[in-house]
Amino acid sequence: MKFLGDRLNAARLGWLAGQIPLLALIVLCLIASALSDRFFSPININNVLMQGAVMTVITIGMTYVIICGGFDLSVGSVVALTGCVTAMAMLEAGIVAGVVAGVAVGALVGLVNGLVVTRLDVNPFIATLGTMVLFRGVTFLITGGRPVVGEEGLPELFLDFAIERMFGIPYLVWLPVALFGVFHWLLHHTAYGIRVFATGGNTEAAYLAGVAVGRVRASAYVWCGALAGLAGVMLASRLQSGQPTAGAFYELTAIAAVVLGGASLFGGEGKLYKSIIGVFIMVVLANALNLANVHSYWQQVAIGLVIVAAAAADRLRRR
Amino acid sequence: MTGAAAAIEARGLHKRFQATRALEDVSFAVAPGEVHALIGENGAGKSTLIKILGGVHRPDRGTVGIGGRLRRFSGPREALASGIVVIPQEMRVVPAMSVAENVLIQAVPTRRFLGLPVVDRTAMADNAAALLARLGIAIDPRARVDRLGYAERQLVMIARALSREARVVILDEPTAALEAREVERLFAVVAALKADGVAIVYVSHRLDEVDELADTCTILRDGRAVERYARGERSRDEVVRLMTGRDIETAHASAGAGAVGTLLRGPLAEEPEIAVGEGRVLGLAGLLGSGTAELLHRLFGAGRYAAEIEKSGAPVGLKSPGDAIRAGIGLVPGERALGLAMALTVRENIVLPNLPLLAGGLRLKKAEIDRLVDRLIESVDIRPPDPGRTVRELSGGNQQKVIFARWLAGHADVLLLDEPTHGIDIGAKAQIHRLMRRFVDDGGGIALASSEMAELLAVSDEVLAMRRGAVVGRFSRDGEYTESALRSALGG
Repeated sequence: MKFLGDRLNAARLGWLAGQIPLLALIVLCLIASALSDRFFSPININNVLMQGAVMTVITIGMTYVIICGGFDLSVGSVVALTGCVTAMAMLEAGIVAGVVAGVAVGALVGLVNGLVVTRLDVNPFIATLGTMVLFRGVTFLITGGRPVVGEEGLPELFLDFAIERMFGIPYLVWLPVALFGVFHWLLHHTAYGIRVFATGGNTEAAYLAGVAVGRVRASAYVWCGALAGLAGVMLASRLQSGQPTAGAFYELTAIAAVVLGGASLFGGEGKLYKSIIGVFIMVVLANALNLANVHSYWQQVAIGLVIVAAAAADRLRRR
Repeated sequence: MTGAAAAIEARGLHKRFQATRALEDVSFAVAPGEVHALIGENGAGKSTLIKILGGVHRPDRGTVGIGGRLRRFSGPREALASGIVVIPQEMRVVPAMSVAENVLIQAVPTRRFLGLPVVDRTAMADNAAALLARLGIAIDPRARVDRLGYAERQLVMIARALSREARVVILDEPTAALEAREVERLFAVVAALKADGVAIVYVSHRLDEVDELADTCTILRDGRAVERYARGERSRDEVVRLMTGRDIETAHASAGAGAVGTLLRGPLAEEPEIAVGEGRVLGLAGLLGSGTAELLHRLFGAGRYAAEIEKSGAPVGLKSPGDAIRAGIGLVPGERALGLAMALTVRENIVLPNLPLLAGGLRLKKAEIDRLVDRLIESVDIRPPDPGRTVRELSGGNQQKVIFARWLAGHADVLLLDEPTHGIDIGAKAQIHRLMRRFVDDGGGIALASSEMAELLAVSDEVLAMRRGAVVGRFSRDGEYTESALRSALGG
């Protein structure tokens, strides 16, 4: 009986250790509210949610890629590329065409990443480092390096998406909530999800269990690209234009969020909701530092330290 | 043999890991020049004991003495400094460096050049050659280690131990991945160490090796040292009973079960082509590199090129393992690391190849999965019987049962087994043999590749001897069916 008690305790302890990201986020929010009474003000909460929304969409895709044993450095460039493509298509052919073009281009470049990694067998880090530069270059080529706004700006209805609210919360924030529901179900409750985890956890074993590992890995890059494309659309709506320089460092923020959420960079382990907690740790931290009037140079130092410390703490916990 | 004479001595070691009692009051001593075997099933406490002796873990209670002096190690480095060298199963060599550099990595000879110490390459080559010669190892000290096979890397590790004046060398399952010939070479090296007065702790599952090599033997069971005996004092059956705490009957083939139909024939139009019959176990004997593993992988669609087979009389093309699984074929690969996703649960690992049957589109049939997994866990006796546990928490034998369970879940009637009992303890081995027997009794067919001749002969109905990818001998129960006949066919 004592043995059983110990086991339960160990299980509970393990569960608690797994909730550290959530506890960290809560503590962070409490500290932020203590530092500034503006933190819990509706305007600021709205701000945090808006900033988290775009990054959440990117991070959902990044979580898929990382659990599948991969890596995608190109998402920041994809956000810029698809944002500009969306704006251009929208000015030509209307809102629906713009949105479809953005997501489709995202999925397409994700497929390129996936095929380079699976078919040409290039290391994901190098492959997406290459496409990161490549997609950014293409973005500058098609825009001439200038923001895409058109003469009368983007359609009003499209801009409303980032402004109008449902139950007091912007549509821009509802979108990632819905996406999270769908992609959580797909990853954690379907046959496809099991295949993703198995492929990332042990590619050879998954192959010998009949999983089409190449296809599964490529599919993760397609999701990641398509979601980055959607993030590009959302950003274009927020910025009321297509910005060729947008999305800088987004890939690093997304990867950091996934790691903060406790997923293994070797693949096969992770939880989608924890990655999202990781996103909000990053966003709230930046927001709190802003409210506390910390200089932006120091903000970068602080955020960098938090990422390194969180990753190190995670290693210690696993030991 | 206790007291001042012991090269290494443990007294009353206790160790717990959270709820698990790993060692309880374990004592043993090894004299200089003595080979002391440490045997026991998985989870008996062998690795914990080695880790305490090697300074990785600290005991909760009890002492370790080296050459009559009590020592408390704060880490592996200190254990090494007092002359204790552990040769683990996974080789810690630097692949891109030469043999000499790897051997002398902890004792690099230097000379002065312009007043600065630089590596003395000549002395290095000479010293390494001398060490290798002392052990009777014929490896070129200038060769790069990544050109060497596993067995030779292991010898490099042992030579490195000598470079540091080892008093105690601990070998952890050293023969687990060796061929017969390499085992003999290793034994010669152990004899050379022994003649040098080194105390040797030899951890193994294989009782015949222990009989051959060890002067004394300690049996561990459930964290206790249940028996200590000198060579020849205990019979094999007694030892097995002491290790497992129960009697184990060895599996035997249902000799005489007539082949009714052929389940699998292939790869067609290739050498070698084999046929697996209904209710039969076909043994494939061969040393490492003989092509048995490759043959099984080809029959599973996991070879480099597509293969053609005939399954239950109908031709089937195999482009990927998925094709083979659909045709009712299952593979248990040679290394468990190739068969399982360790971070996934028992349930997920069992379900993985059967997803097409257990999922309607994307949606998982949860109730059906739970029923199936529970039934299989009970039927193959996975312990603990917890479908939600990650596979990496299980012992080697239970991991192997998970791979078996996944093929019993579907409609597979042919199993391709590559060294299915490699590195698992005797109790689990007998259980695996029973599972195989049950599978063929139910009308399935098995192709079994193994480098353990005795096992192969015991469980097979017919054995093919393979060398360099070709069948060089065929042995059936109505003809000559002995280990010596098989060995001479293999040239081992």
